[in-house]
Amino acid sequence: MSQQGQGQASTDQLTVEKEIVDRVIARFGDKVKLAYVKPRRIRFNVSKDIILEFARYARDELGFDHPISVAGVDYPKNKLIDVVYHIGSCTNDKFRSSVLVFAVQLDRDDPVMPTLIPIYRGVEYHERETFEMLGVIFDGHPRLERLLLPEDWADIPPLRKDFHTKGREE
Amino acid sequence: MGLEIDRERIPGFDVEGKDADGMDKGILTLSVGPQHPGSGHFRLIVKVDGDIIVEALPDPGYVHRGEEKMCEYRNYIQNIPHLERPMIADSCGILYPYVLAVEEICNIPVPERAKYIRVIMAELNRCIFELYWLGIYGIFLGHSTMFMWPMADRELLIDLAEMASGARVTHAYFVPGGVRNDVPDAFPEKAKRHLLYFRNRLKEYKDIFYDNPLFQARTVGVGILRREDAINLGATGPVLRASGVEHDIRKVEPYDVYDELDFKVITMNEGDSFARAYVPWLEMYESVEIALQALERMPSGPVRTKLGPNPKGAVGEVFKRVEAARGELAYYLVSDGNPKPYRVKLSVPSFREIPVMAHLLKGAKLADMPSIYWSMNYWPVEADR
Amino acid sequence: MSTVSEFTFSNFVKSVLWLLFWILIIVSLIALPIIFIVLFYVPPPVINGVEINPYLLLTMLTNPQVGAPLIRPTLESLFFRIAVFPGFTFAALFATVLIFAERKTLAKMQLRVGPYHAGREAFWWANSLGGFLQLIADLLKLLGKEIIVPSGADKPIFWAAPAVLVIAAAGLIALIPVAPGWVIADIDVSLLAVFALLGFFPLTVLLASYASNSKYPFIGGLRALYQLISYEIPLILAVLPIVILASTLSLTGIVEAQYSYWFILLVPIGAFVFFVTALAELERIPFDLPEAESEIVAGWLTEYSGMAYGLIQLANYIKMYALSALFTTLFLGGWIGPEFLPSIEVFNVQVLSSGEVSSIFWFTIKTFGVALFMIIVRGTNPRVKIDVLLRVGWSKLIALSFINVFIAVALLYLGVVGVGH
Repeated sequence: MSQQGQGQASTDQLTVEKEIVDRVIARFGDKVKLAYVKPRRIRFNVSKDIILEFARYARDELGFDHPISVAGVDYPKNKLIDVVYHIGSCTNDKFRSSVLVFAVQLDRDDPVMPTLIPIYRGVEYHERETFEMLGVIFDGHPRLERLLLPEDWADIPPLRKDFHTKGREE
Repeated sequence: MGLEIDRERIPGFDVEGKDADGMDKGILTLSVGPQHPGSGHFRLIVKVDGDIIVEALPDPGYVHRGEEKMCEYRNYIQNIPHLERPMIADSCGILYPYVLAVEEICNIPVPERAKYIRVIMAELNRCIFELYWLGIYGIFLGHSTMFMWPMADRELLIDLAEMASGARVTHAYFVPGGVRNDVPDAFPEKAKRHLLYFRNRLKEYKDIFYDNPLFQARTVGVGILRREDAINLGATGPVLRASGVEHDIRKVEPYDVYDELDFKVITMNEGDSFARAYVPWLEMYESVEIALQALERMPSGPVRTKLGPNPKGAVGEVFKRVEAARGELAYYLVSDGNPKPYRVKLSVPSFREIPVMAHLLKGAKLADMPSIYWSMNYWPVEADR
Repeated sequence: MSTVSEFTFSNFVKSVLWLLFWILIIVSLIALPIIFIVLFYVPPPVINGVEINPYLLLTMLTNPQVGAPLIRPTLESLFFRIAVFPGFTFAALFATVLIFAERKTLAKMQLRVGPYHAGREAFWWANSLGGFLQLIADLLKLLGKEIIVPSGADKPIFWAAPAVLVIAAAGLIALIPVAPGWVIADIDVSLLAVFALLGFFPLTVLLASYASNSKYPFIGGLRALYQLISYEIPLILAVLPIVILASTLSLTGIVEAQYSYWFILLVPIGAFVFFVTALAELERIPFDLPEAESEIVAGWLTEYSGMAYGLIQLANYIKMYALSALFTTLFLGGWIGPEFLPSIEVFNVQVLSSGEVSSIFWFTIKTFGVALFMIIVRGTNPRVKIDVLLRVGWSKLIALSFINVFIAVALLYLGVVGVGH
């Protein structure tokens, strides 16, 4: 966005983003799918089989070392749930202004994926939140239990699109 | 007449065998919060062996409001007031990335003057929050004067924020396309006066609080967070910078006019509670500096882009982050082309400090719990959203 | 059938008349005969050779001069000393003023106003005092509150602990001389008795916390035990040089030994150690770990509510008065000061001599100053940690106390001060 006062910076920056994309593609080939490259944001769609390998590569080789956010997005039309990891970098000066986004697209009826705690310890509570808000099960998570919702919550996970808050049914 | 502790009445208190969780004998399970003067709307299940904490399990969620679900039912403008409710002490900070994200996804230009006003308000709010935080830190350490002084000085800055926005804490001042209204003509003058006074006042804080040997005895060397742990656990803001990582979103990814202003990123290498308390104090100087510079350079002109009745976002997603008072605050916003966002995810700094807190409390002394817990910049309401 | 809802004026008048009738019956048939029987069997007290009978009391209503010679003997009676001055009433009054002074002083230090409204509008003379009735309001609030006893609590101990604390604190003030001859119990070993009474507090606190049957009080009680016991040793050691210099254990004797110079000038280290340990004994900031609210709610006080809590606070403030008074007595020369106030006379009969009035004045001023210093410490310091507290107590303060003792002994051997000097 040129209006954001980042216009000039972003065109310079895109070389950095291209470098990240090139390195990832060189390493993983067509096992990962590039979703978009925007100024300072690069998103890959990664299958859940290689997610651990991908994350380890991103942390050790690219220097994306800390999780910023883990978000789940429900797409009932495509019968998919995206689990989107936003990973930032503190240690790699070249990439520190970029955010690496990688998403795992899971089957909506059976959303299971391995946990990323072995690689990013900080995702523990983000993943717990995603579990209770969207019903995604993270294999190997040490405490996959209620976090924010009431202890007696018995409804479907609230951030799924077929859950409606009371009085807000379409 | 028995002098025995009634063990059945106190779950977890078992000095003979193992308790329900299989912990060793002599472990006392304390439920710190939510009704505890030192917790806020938050619970820490703390297991202590004598005076040493063997395990601390954070249990947030007492003030969960479902902000993210609420966003899906309201359009982009309606979302503004309720999104700042989780963090009323820093309401500009929590709204800032949302406004940036909506501007990007709806392609709304921002006038130059509005960018400066936003920066000024964001820095004022940073100071307001950090004073509030420092005051509560005083309460946590049992220093009642340390509670009262920042609270009193905070009023000066709140006066400024009120003058600009009309509200003391929940300003709802940032809107997509600028700020809600221009500041009054007398604002720059008054702001300069208050900020200069406030900067002089900050020096006294060091003399009275930070240089106090008892304050240092409580905080120096307590809860040391190593650099690698800070990064890997996802610590952010002053906590991260107190561990020696120079990472500030205002520098690494400047938004609005931060790249035109001159300021330093404060870091300390100790990583203890004292550093985490001292970094905000130093940052307040920088905030005053930024606000004064922005006041100096603020151009005249409009402050808001006129919007249509119900702005629609382009299909796609956007991830925007700013440096709020407690650290990196990010919004992940997905739009399907409707006037309402498809999905809004708040990544708040307080939530990111939870694993750091659990990590630091393990092995600490019970008496160190308040100084570690509150040095985390943790705000229960914000973490619960 | 009459119920509460059927209110008529005639019923109201009827109930009032019934009430008056019963009061009349009870007074005339029961109360008055009891008074006469008591007066018949119990001889009226004789003060200064004058029998205090109802006739005399009635006479004093019309001619107060009759009572004037009796005032001084009344002041010297043991009952007056225990109950009023320098006993419990004086101490409680002093404690009340202390609470008010503390709240106002802290407020001034913290850019606040403090208690301001309660009592300000009520009386014309209260305007300048601004809020002193807040204490009365607090007292009424505490009286009106329910005292909740935890279901698993050990009830007798739980109830007894506040009373024991108040009694022990009141016992301390019996030993402190306020002016020459103005002491309830002028015993030869009153300093030892003070420490014996101070030994009550850790035990009572531990019992109170244990009887609460709750976790936070338990932790708080253990902390209190650690703190009080480990700080009693430097407290006693800090006083040792005073005993060496004054060569007496009687507090009156110690004060009299200071007529030439106050002991704080000879053993300032001892005064410092005593002050610090007194703060710890009082569980005041910076040593209020047993009540650290951000860690353990309210420590051993957590389960106490209502007037039981109020009694504990009263005991704390009486203890604060007692320890400030002790500091004054031991280091600041007690009542010693220039005689400048006039004597008090009632109908040309001297009640208090000029010396006594001045002594009481100096003693009160000094004690108040020491207490004020404690309040200022509270306003400027955070709480310390238990390990720091114990380390300081066992290493630094005890070492300082020994240095202090050596100084005193050296002074004695050099002949600077001592017996017969």
